Amino acid sequence: MLHVEDLVVRYGSAVALDGVSLQVEAGEMVALVGPNGAGKSTMVNTIAGLLKPSAGSVRLEGRVALVPEGRQMFPDMTVEDNLKLGGWSIRNRDLAEVLDLLPDLGSLRRRKAGRLSGGQQQMVAVGRALMARPDLLVIDELSLGLAPLVVDELADHLRLLNRERGTAVLLVEQEVGLAFDVCTRACVLDAGRVVASGTSSELAGTEVVRRAYFGDLPRPEDLNTEDMNTEDMEEVIR
Amino acid sequence: MSRLLNWKTLLVVAGSVAACVAPLVMADLTFFMRTVLAAIVVTGLSMLMGYAGQASLGQGAFVAAGALTVAIGTTRLELPPLVALLLAPLVAAAFAALVGIPILRLQGHYLAFGTLALLLMVQAAMSAFDVLGGAFGISGIPAFGVAGTAFSGQLPYAYLALVCLGLVLTLTHRVVHSRFGRGVRALAGSETAAESAGVPVGRSKVAVFALSGAYAGLAGALSAFFTPYVSPDSFPAVESFTYVIMAVVGGLGTVWGGVIGAVVISVLLQVLNSVSSQPGLPPTAGPILQYATYGAVLIATLLFLPRGILPSASAALGAGRRRLGAGAGG
Amino acid sequence: MNELVGYLVSGVALGSSFALIGSGFVVVHRVTRVVNFAQGSLAVLGGMLSASLLGGRLPHGVGELVAVVVCGAVGLLMGILAVGRRGTPPLISLIVTLGISLLASAAIIWLWGQDPVSPPGLSGSMTILGASVERQRLLVLVATLLTFAALALVFSRSYLGKALTASASNPFAARMVGIDVRRMGLVAFALAGVLGGLAGVLVAPTNALSFSSDLPLALSGFAAAVFGGLTSPLRTLVGGLCLGVAGQLTAGYLNGSYQTEVALLLMLVIMIARSKSFVAEEAK
Repeated sequence: MLHVEDLVVRYGSAVALDGVSLQVEAGEMVALVGPNGAGKSTMVNTIAGLLKPSAGSVRLEGRVALVPEGRQMFPDMTVEDNLKLGGWSIRNRDLAEVLDLLPDLGSLRRRKAGRLSGGQQQMVAVGRALMARPDLLVIDELSLGLAPLVVDELADHLRLLNRERGTAVLLVEQEVGLAFDVCTRACVLDAGRVVASGTSSELAGTEVVRRAYFGDLPRPEDLNTEDMNTEDMEEVIR
Repeated sequence: MSRLLNWKTLLVVAGSVAACVAPLVMADLTFFMRTVLAAIVVTGLSMLMGYAGQASLGQGAFVAAGALTVAIGTTRLELPPLVALLLAPLVAAAFAALVGIPILRLQGHYLAFGTLALLLMVQAAMSAFDVLGGAFGISGIPAFGVAGTAFSGQLPYAYLALVCLGLVLTLTHRVVHSRFGRGVRALAGSETAAESAGVPVGRSKVAVFALSGAYAGLAGALSAFFTPYVSPDSFPAVESFTYVIMAVVGGLGTVWGGVIGAVVISVLLQVLNSVSSQPGLPPTAGPILQYATYGAVLIATLLFLPRGILPSASAALGAGRRRLGAGAGG
Repeated sequence: MNELVGYLVSGVALGSSFALIGSGFVVVHRVTRVVNFAQGSLAVLGGMLSASLLGGRLPHGVGELVAVVVCGAVGLLMGILAVGRRGTPPLISLIVTLGISLLASAAIIWLWGQDPVSPPGLSGSMTILGASVERQRLLVLVATLLTFAALALVFSRSYLGKALTASASNPFAARMVGIDVRRMGLVAFALAGVLGGLAGVLVAPTNALSFSSDLPLALSGFAAAVFGGLTSPLRTLVGGLCLGVAGQLTAGYLNGSYQTEVALLLMLVIMIARSKSFVAEEAK
């Protein structure tokens, strides 16, 4: 239901996305991984309609909602108001469904969004996106700045959402482990291009993914560290 | 690039020659003086708006400070004219710093309204307190002179003003290209970025504001000697708005933008004056045309030519030269 | 004692108009982070329009209403110029509104000349607390209180009000949830037009307006809005009333011609006081 074909997005003369193609079918959970600067946020913003493609196309069947990087709360407004505004595009002010899916939000309703912890804000951001009753949920950097336990809990909510409501999820992540854990399929983005795609089990631990993140460094298993002194090790890391 | 510099130097030389010759051929120098003095004020305002990203809608407050320093200094405190002239920009700068230190910490619009409030309060203070002139203002300001000599007629003032303008432009050039100037220019882009690069944001803003106040004070001092009369009506709010329009039109954050803006708008004003005094037009035609033109010019410039005349012309000339150069294989 | 009550009442009435103009500043700033310099011009326009419409053409109530609605439309036009273009920095928008106020002055001189104009208001007076109070001044106070109550309700309870607040609170997130931030800005400007026009309609019968009144009105309104940090309607109301009373007391016991200056002095004092506590919020 999301079809991205040969998408090209430019910032002035810099090319952020250079012919990216991606598919997400209804009810799927797909991961988009890659290092910093690969173009993931550009991808997210273009899918959400905040950026215009320079070439290629983004086709959506159904509604998409975004959980943005850094949560992007309305800080002086209450959690309740943040959630209600999430439903602006379909004029949905009824919190019942979302509170049902994310019950922890109930106790936070009257709190000012800017005062919450990172994990709480992330939950509000997800709830806010869900108010638009999307068919596809795009999540940008879910794990950023959050403790692993909190991330696990959020991941559980996502799996539940996918199972019970059939909401498709596009998880855009730096954290490769989390991405492959939650999603069944994945695409690897590096420097604006898709360098690999397939099921999570196929891709986990492969050359391509490692190289996208670490360049051409040797794998730890290949190094004979007993013969090296500290200087050599530093050289390798650098 | 060097060919572009030559263009600029040529224009500067031609302009300077014209400016030096003009007073000799003009009968009444009031218009000339007002334009040159406006150029001095607007050069400072252009620095403030273009580099520090702050707007001052009441720059006249500092013009008044300078004018009052001269008026009170020469008539009540018996100061020699040269001392009063040198003191004026310092007093104005101090005034600006006093006001700027707290208010520049706030968002831009607070300074805009704050300086306007300051201007109105200065006017009120001038009519309220006899020390500052009371209702009738301060007259009897002696002619400017050094070591016993005294200016006679308008001509010497015109050249004094030109010299001051030259000094102001040179100082502005030095400041802009100094390390301090580069830091200040970073402010206009993003304060947080400038701060992380080590620019002392608060102090830089106050320094630029004080400098713009000093320029305004200098202009005020010169006008006090020229007129030679200072009253609350000498600094109407519209005048301060005109400075803003001149700054915007000439080009914010450029050394010569003030001069260009002052000349363009002053000439425009003269044209409007002669148009509106044509027979057959009602007496209100004057103010209507003036306000309408000011408003339209300001809005049009901001929306369509936001960088003002100087940067846009430079860019156009530069682009044109590049195209020509490429065609000729240069 | 009678005198004091008289000053308090006229101070409150005058201060109400400051508060209404201030509320226009607040509405626009809350939604767009822009300060609309032409707020004073809207008030003058409202007063002049109601004078023309009421001068024998339209009956009381209708004439004022039409004047206010027209001001709302003019406010919308101002918004198009000031924030219509995406990405105009707020300081540039401020200067654009300065240009708009100059254009407005030209239009006002063209349509109504340079002399002060005063529309007919409510005649007669009532007795309150042993002092004689003009009915017009009471009307101003009541209308202001009702308006502010409505504003507070709109911003805190209505969906549109929340969307308006969100537009300035986090424009990125607002766009993300589907709020048309630019359209919200225009709504804010139109609303500010209505508020400004209302202020002019209410104050003109007792204080004649002319083309040059826009500056002191805008400054007084801004001073009231500064009390509320340019965001809180309630504190703007309090600020406006305080300024009005302070001005009238100065006029009565000190010197009548320095009302505006007293308001300005208070405004500067408040600004300086705020700067101590505002430092963190103001980082760009």
